[in-house]
Amino acid sequence: MTTTEVASKEAVRARRNYNFLFALTLLGLLIVLWVALSIATPNFMTDRNIPNLLRQGSLIAILALGQTFVIITAGIDLSVGAVAGFCTVVIALLLQSGVPVWLAIVITLLVGLAIGIFHAFGITKMGLPPFIITLATLTSLRGIGLLMTNGATISITDKSFTSFATGDFLSIPNLFWMVIVVALPSYVFLSHTRWGRYIFAVGSNPEAARLSGVRVQAILYLAYSLSAVFAAFVGVLLAVRLGIGNATQADGYELQAIASSVIGGTSLFGAVGSVHGPLIGAFILATINNGANLLNVNSFWQRIITGGLIILIVFFDQLRRRGR
Amino acid sequence: MTQATIGGEGVAARGPILELRNLSKTYGPVQALKPANLSFNYDEIHAIVGENGAGKSTLIKLLTGVIRRTGGEIFWNGTAVALDTPQEAIDHGINAVHQEVVLCRHLSVAANIFLGDERMKFGLLQKRQMTREAQKLLNDMGFNLPAGEMLGNLTIGQQQLVATARAALRGTKFLIFDEPTAYLTRQEAAQLFALIRRLRASGVTIVYISHRLEEVFELADRVSVLRDGNLVGTRDIADTNETELVSMMINRSLEQIYHKEVVPHGELLLETRNLSGRGFEDVSISVRRGEIVGLYGLIGAGRSEFVLSLFGRNPKTGGQIFWKGQPVDIRNERQAIKLGIALAPESRRDQGLNLNLPIGFNLNLPIYDRLTRGITISPREEADHANKQIRDLAIKTPSRRVLASSMSGGNQQKIVIGKWLNHGADLFIFDEPTVGVDVGTKAEIYRLLAALLKNGAGIIMISSYLPEVYELADTLHVFRSGRLTGSNPYHAVSHENVLAEAIGV
Repeated sequence: MTTTEVASKEAVRARRNYNFLFALTLLGLLIVLWVALSIATPNFMTDRNIPNLLRQGSLIAILALGQTFVIITAGIDLSVGAVAGFCTVVIALLLQSGVPVWLAIVITLLVGLAIGIFHAFGITKMGLPPFIITLATLTSLRGIGLLMTNGATISITDKSFTSFATGDFLSIPNLFWMVIVVALPSYVFLSHTRWGRYIFAVGSNPEAARLSGVRVQAILYLAYSLSAVFAAFVGVLLAVRLGIGNATQADGYELQAIASSVIGGTSLFGAVGSVHGPLIGAFILATINNGANLLNVNSFWQRIITGGLIILIVFFDQLRRRGR
Repeated sequence: MTQATIGGEGVAARGPILELRNLSKTYGPVQALKPANLSFNYDEIHAIVGENGAGKSTLIKLLTGVIRRTGGEIFWNGTAVALDTPQEAIDHGINAVHQEVVLCRHLSVAANIFLGDERMKFGLLQKRQMTREAQKLLNDMGFNLPAGEMLGNLTIGQQQLVATARAALRGTKFLIFDEPTAYLTRQEAAQLFALIRRLRASGVTIVYISHRLEEVFELADRVSVLRDGNLVGTRDIADTNETELVSMMINRSLEQIYHKEVVPHGELLLETRNLSGRGFEDVSISVRRGEIVGLYGLIGAGRSEFVLSLFGRNPKTGGQIFWKGQPVDIRNERQAIKLGIALAPESRRDQGLNLNLPIGFNLNLPIYDRLTRGITISPREEADHANKQIRDLAIKTPSRRVLASSMSGGNQQKIVIGKWLNHGADLFIFDEPTVGVDVGTKAEIYRLLAALLKNGAGIIMISSYLPEVYELADTLHVFRSGRLTGSNPYHAVSHENVLAEAIGV
């Protein structure tokens, strides 16, 4: 008894230390990358590049955050890139037809919400695996978006709208502020409300959660809606940044979002994840891409490096889990 | 016949094919099989009987190399063997046919029979040849099964026959059947018995594990009885009878730990009238405050399905439920919880716990709405409620942050119960609360039941362990094949009668 007690006491300490260390390691990795790049190239630590990097990372960071809610329920949302691309079309069309900016944004976010509700409906009522239903929206949303514009790109002429992307506040790019605006409530939600707890419970064991009185289906609606609304928000930001609406935008963002989440310590088996993890993960990926560009590394290498990083980090995480 | 028969009576020149000497298995502090001496002869059908948790599956797993023994020796044809891996068991010719068929549902019958031992020519599968050979094999065995059919299209019973044919093909010398007739029709069972006799005639030793004593008497040459991990004894089938076997299966040694509290019965909490649903039919019971209602029966007899229906997990198809005198329709779990019903379900792993989350999380899961202040959860109250249960239930953990998966069975059960103590309820339903739990924790759980009764709760307790429900329940209902066979007030009948009702002898 005493030996097992001591052993598990150590295990608790080890686990807490580990979680802390993992977050620290990720942050350390990010800092090491930054330091190495500032030494390697004079073009890295410049007034132009750093805000640019933050803007690049911001969009993926928000997608990864929404994605993380879904992954914690042991699901997956492959549609986030397509939702973002589709939503650039939606907001561009709305602005073109003279809808006020604030209303256009609200309507676009509601479109995202509808998509998220549709995903949860497919999963809970039609019994479709999350992978399938979100894969289906991934392809069909791009098609719908192209149909709506007849394949054309819609420009956004409202200067007040597009200038937001290049602006900054306290010399931090506005787009990065958007990450903070999304991340703070997300943190409170995931770590300090019962709904956050229920998301973990559903991801860990939906049957046990149900028998404890958790509305499992409602939680799935919540998680997929959050992911889709975050993706719609990224669509708005993308439209702001590039000043166009085109359904083919944000191609492959879903994989970057999933990769960021996983690099940030989210378990694809569910019930393990945080808010800070995917954020750091997204900026690590953004830094690798940015650095590779600056160093004139063949852009194909960026993809290879990203893949290697995913394998490495998840492998170490598995080692830790098995060792416990 | 008071001594266990050990060794080969009635064996001619040859010794036993398999002999166990002081074989034992412990899991941590739990002794799943106490040192046992047992021998299996050539050409015999050796039945093994015992209640759930008596150690039958441990014995099977030891014999098939799935788990390693803790102590003792195993002799195969007089030679000591390790039997440490499934492959080693198969190499010797030891095979098992399990209750749940472990074959590939999406392959044909023939492909399953030859799985891992396919007929090949030039590196290509000889499908037609295999189908032909498989069909011949099945026909020879008297099974009317199509070899080309996909396995998943057959009934469970037919799949069982395929699994047996597969084992028979592999030069098996020692074949273990684990509750093979659980899902079979009478006709399929008769076919299986004929095959088993034929296998014996061809020199295969058969170990036959079953709850159904009538099958044991129909089939077996000898029978061994397990109880609480003890090998109680072995009998020649001609020298024994059902009464003796039943009394050997029942344990009285734990009686002293039962803590029966007689509390005056109060308000009528729950009543069902002719309740039916998936897996049970026509069940009428009632529970009052201060009363323990025991539901006894074998696993799969419909007890768990019945209480899941009471808890709103599965819909009822007929009958009525009354809660405190009012007719109610319990459509989901939340509604049941709101009425004041709590369920500690049968499977801790699959239904009771969020294993990869902390103990405190599990304990608080039903009450997170109450712990919420404004929008956020009060961290202090969250800690207080978890720590109170950990303290009150003596859950052996250094912290509420430890994951539930790292706890022992007994402590996990306490967490499952603790979450409902945290929440509170009028009616507590405990489904197999003491399975896989050590004796000390069992006693703690019994004391806990007594405390709940004193506080005015009513309890429904499901158990496959007869002495437990027999001693604790005020009213004992016996389930068999989804129906109640009868209801007996406390100690109105003997153990033997209750067990006989449950297994239908």
